[in-house]
Amino acid sequence: MDGFDMMDSGTDGPIVTIRKADSMHADFVLSNVDLSFANSIRRIILAEVPTLAIDLVEVIANSSVLPDELLSHRLGLIPLESSNIDDKLLYTRDCDCDGYCDRCSVVLTLVAKCTGDQNVTVYARDLAVAAGAQLGNPVLTDEAGKGSIICKLRKGQELNLKCIAKKGIAKEHAKWQPCAAVAFEYDPHNKLKHVDYWYETDAKAEWPKSANAGWEEPAQENEPFDYNAVPNKFYIDVETVGSLQPDEVLRQGIKYLQEKLATVIAGVNKSAGQGAATNTGGDVNGMDDGYGGARSPDMNDANGYRNFNDGYVTPYGGAGGGAGAQTPFGGYGGGGYSNGWP
Amino acid sequence: MADNETLPDAPEYDNEAAGDVDYDDDEPLDLTRENNAKIIMLGSATDDDSCASFQFENEDHTLGNALRWIIMKNPKVEFCGYSIPHPSEPKMNMRIQTYGDITAKDALIQGLADLRDLCDVVTDTFVAEKERFVTEKKQAVA
Ligand SMILES: [Zn+2]
Repeated sequence: MDGFDMMDSGTDGPIVTIRKADSMHADFVLSNVDLSFANSIRRIILAEVPTLAIDLVEVIANSSVLPDELLSHRLGLIPLESSNIDDKLLYTRDCDCDGYCDRCSVVLTLVAKCTGDQNVTVYARDLAVAAGAQLGNPVLTDEAGKGSIICKLRKGQELNLKCIAKKGIAKEHAKWQPCAAVAFEYDPHNKLKHVDYWYETDAKAEWPKSANAGWEEPAQENEPFDYNAVPNKFYIDVETVGSLQPDEVLRQGIKYLQEKLATVIAGVNKSAGQGAATNTGGDVNGMDDGYGGARSPDMNDANGYRNFNDGYVTPYGGAGGGAGAQTPFGGYGGGGYSNGWP
Repeated sequence: MADNETLPDAPEYDNEAAGDVDYDDDEPLDLTRENNAKIIMLGSATDDDSCASFQFENEDHTLGNALRWIIMKNPKVEFCGYSIPHPSEPKMNMRIQTYGDITAKDALIQGLADLRDLCDVVTDTFVAEKERFVTEKKQAVA
């Protein structure tokens, strides 16, 4: 960086402290960064980290009580295993195909029929991923390994669906969210007075203490307000839906923030020769000549999906490539698992 | 417009200057990262390019606030601010005024590079901390 002091606090660079973490959570404290930067990270992991979700459903048979569109909506919301999706799938809009193909989608089938007198419950685990797919297994986090309930069938009712899962981001539809929630807090004692607590008689007595209160010193009695103070410690809890590990969500989030920057840099540089506008009459001076099909340089080029072009490898390994595919939670093998009822 | 002469014609919208791309009609919403940042320079107030306004298309507070902050950290920059003029237009405006040593555009480029470097540092810090956490957990189990 350009020799000037990057950090408000003047100490050395950002600090990360992980407090708790497992396959679905990462609770950490990010300090020595500005509020705006911490908030950018929060926003980007909420809305702009790509995952895989069912986007098209071809209904071959549906005699259940749920209408096709309701069923399709429920299917879209099922989290699908999406780790390293950038190495494995293209966005359909960037793909050469019409509609969908192996390079930009994963096909899951759901075939179920109730033949006995006992009603049958269809779970997410009954979605069968096409053989050879590198990702797309439904995420099963419950102890029984069944996943979420899709629908129930009584005697004679059946489902036969072809679901096409695509890569996307939550800015377009919430079903692509990698996170169920991103907790974000700073200044638990409200020393900066960014919050104006409502109260009957005494705010201190009526409001519960934040869970993060123990990590910072409370204000002293009659301590004068510090007008120069800025938030410095951010308590972040990334809670995923299971399609990506929290670790990957965060790293991908920062990567996409960098990709945004790279795209802007490319846009600014492209227009280098052109000076500032001389006509100020409301006209905009073209800095960028249309920005045609310019692609953002991929920051982590080793992972860029554009590498499909050089040394072309299919996104799916050869036969049996999907055998190792399984959720990070154990569960089941990716290979021939049956669609049988318990 | 030809049918109703009482209404003045709307000013011609200059698609090229606005950095517009022809969108495929089949695509209702353009969210490709690749097309995200269309940036244009708005009318400048000074002759020496030390002050300028930029308009980013398809960007919001995610980029705007962090970029504003890092540009303000540059001691050669007198002022930097951003706004989103209308919530239903995917546009973000940024104003940069320098003391005159560098152009506003240079300040913008510097800010982008600095923010990218900061991202790298945070990623490295996070990865290192994750390694430490995992090792510590393993030792606790053993
Ligand atoms: Zn395709």
